[in-house]
Amino acid sequence: MADRVLEIDRVSKRYAHVEALHELSFEVRAGELFGFVGPNGAGKTTTMRIVLGVLAADAGEVRWGGEPITFATRRRIGYMPEERGLYPSMGVTEQLVYLAELHGMRARDARAATARWLERLGLGDRGGEQLQKLSQGNQQRVQLAAALLFSPDVLVLDEPFSGLDPVAVDVMSDVLREQADAGISVLFSSHQLELVEELCDRVGIIRGGRMLAAGSVEELRSGSAPRYWVDVPMAAAGWAEKVPGAAVVRMEGSRTLVELQAAAGDQVLLQAALATGPVREFRRDTPTLTELFRTVITEETAA
Amino acid sequence: MSGTAPERAGLSPRRAVYLIARREFATRIRGKVFIIGTIVAVALLALYAVLQLAVIDRINTTTTFNVAFSGSTTALAQPLEAAAPSLGFKVHVSDVATEAQGRSEVRAGSLDALVVGTPGAPQAVVETGIDPTLQAALVALAKQDVLSNDLSAAGLSPAAVESQVDAVSLHLDTLHPATAAQLQGPIIGFVMAFALYLFIGIYGSVIGQGVVAEKASRVVEILLSTVRPGQLLLGKVVGIGLVGLIQLGIIAVCGLLFTVPTGVLALPGAAIGAVAIGVMWFVLGFILYALMLAATASLVSRVEEVSSATVPVSMLLVVTWLLAYVVAIPAIDAVTGGGAVSPGLETLTTVISLIPPFTPVLMSIRMAAGEVPLWEGLLAIVLVLASIVGMTWLGARIYANSILRFGARIKLTDALRRSR
Repeated sequence: MADRVLEIDRVSKRYAHVEALHELSFEVRAGELFGFVGPNGAGKTTTMRIVLGVLAADAGEVRWGGEPITFATRRRIGYMPEERGLYPSMGVTEQLVYLAELHGMRARDARAATARWLERLGLGDRGGEQLQKLSQGNQQRVQLAAALLFSPDVLVLDEPFSGLDPVAVDVMSDVLREQADAGISVLFSSHQLELVEELCDRVGIIRGGRMLAAGSVEELRSGSAPRYWVDVPMAAAGWAEKVPGAAVVRMEGSRTLVELQAAAGDQVLLQAALATGPVREFRRDTPTLTELFRTVITEETAA
Repeated sequence: MSGTAPERAGLSPRRAVYLIARREFATRIRGKVFIIGTIVAVALLALYAVLQLAVIDRINTTTTFNVAFSGSTTALAQPLEAAAPSLGFKVHVSDVATEAQGRSEVRAGSLDALVVGTPGAPQAVVETGIDPTLQAALVALAKQDVLSNDLSAAGLSPAAVESQVDAVSLHLDTLHPATAAQLQGPIIGFVMAFALYLFIGIYGSVIGQGVVAEKASRVVEILLSTVRPGQLLLGKVVGIGLVGLIQLGIIAVCGLLFTVPTGVLALPGAAIGAVAIGVMWFVLGFILYALMLAATASLVSRVEEVSSATVPVSMLLVVTWLLAYVVAIPAIDAVTGGGAVSPGLETLTTVISLIPPFTPVLMSIRMAAGEVPLWEGLLAIVLVLASIVGMTWLGARIYANSILRFGARIKLTDALRRSR
């Protein structure tokens, strides 16, 4: 299992006038949910297409289990493209069986897997219908089934949550978690950062074709300067600025959000707070992924 | 789920092409083009055969003329009855009591003609006109009567002279025998060529539409994550081509079934041969055109744009059909004896029918006419096969470079140059 890692190694891709990817590197380990976030045009879709071999990289390498990915190993990747795509006038079961067979399954196994996944996704009785007769959300479930039914080793899903209602989001989240727990490497992109934070083991923030930060949300937090919420109702204004290495981010009523240059300064800050009078709250602020994302993106822009 | 991963059968290139072809086949054989097209074509063929039968029936049914003779012209009645079968009609001789009664019967329509006067100078009383055959027969009999009288007057036996005259004939030394039946060769070829032109056009456009429909629905992105563009292209061509071939086969067999037993076709052997040649050229021609149409269609992203994108290829097909008329002339000339067409035109048709995009349609005419030497036929097949190989490479390249580029129409030069 340990060697089942999807590695994207210094992959570059240039379109006519735009550098879409610049030596992008990251890895998705077996059993891991990797969330791929970044503004529109950051290069997420391009990266996924290169992993699937739908696009060719100009430079760099994609490896699976230490070996450069080949056409045969790509067949072991379940793919959900950004622009959903199935045959509108073809029957649901018929086309899922077809796609499973194209991924190397035998006809009998393909039919069994199709029935199993349609059942699992609540479409058990819709198999005979044309895809276009289904609602948008149900079409999305069929699309997910298409990526899953041949029991892939890797899942690459471009915006799997977009356009889903809350119930479908839960179904999708459960399925992705379950797949990762079964040892599959799952890479997906999303703009729903709260969902990514909740669901993913690790997150990659991409912008302008470069990976700005990658790691667990915890690791990303540790990379940012520590912040503390301090509620000192009796303090005079500007008390926090006097603490060495501290800067006030903002104030909300009697509460002050203070950023420290080093986590080691927290005791100094606490003493300074106690010196002003009663301290009602002294709490390490854990930034959400959304906040981390904004910080990383703006830092990069400033730099 | 992966814990119970089923055994993987793998996917050989051949199986990939087979799966794609099978899907195309299964989809198209249930499609409108196939079902409605086949029904309409077979119905038209049946209608044609019925009409032909009616025409033949009409020709075979001999007309009967009701003729009455008055006075001395009754001497012509028996010779007319005797001559009638050889002239292709029957005569029913009626008796009329008086000329006036005969005239009123003509007016009433119960008599076609009332012959009065003398055998040597008969007059026919008719209502509006007389059938030319009947007229010619009466004239010939009157002439013979005059001649017999003159011969008798000259002391000769009319019967002896007649038998001598009958013995005279024209001996034909035919250098290049041509019959109406032989003309059917090029005509069958021409019909076959038209069917080819039609089928390549129809099923070629099915290919073009299919390529862009997959592009427009983006399903192609999933497909290309597991099969190569060339495999996808080949599978489509095979699957759709097979449906076209089956439809062409059904129509050809129905055509033969309807025409051969009814005797509409004088040369069933030539017809079956032409169908066999036609099927071979359909397969080769379809593959060549399908590759060109798929490649050009892949340049656009919306189904509405397909016909404009494929204009260069469809124009080529239309030009081929126009050239079919040019090629048909020497083909018919070769059957009817030759010489009516200048050697220059013959050379020209030989050359243009060897140019690969024109070959399938044109050669099916020339081969059905039986004027193509073996070496020329083989050369034509080799040239078309070579261009199919070339087009497979070129078409797959254009297709692969365009199929995932959505949005505005892609320039052909870009599609040829850029790799994915």
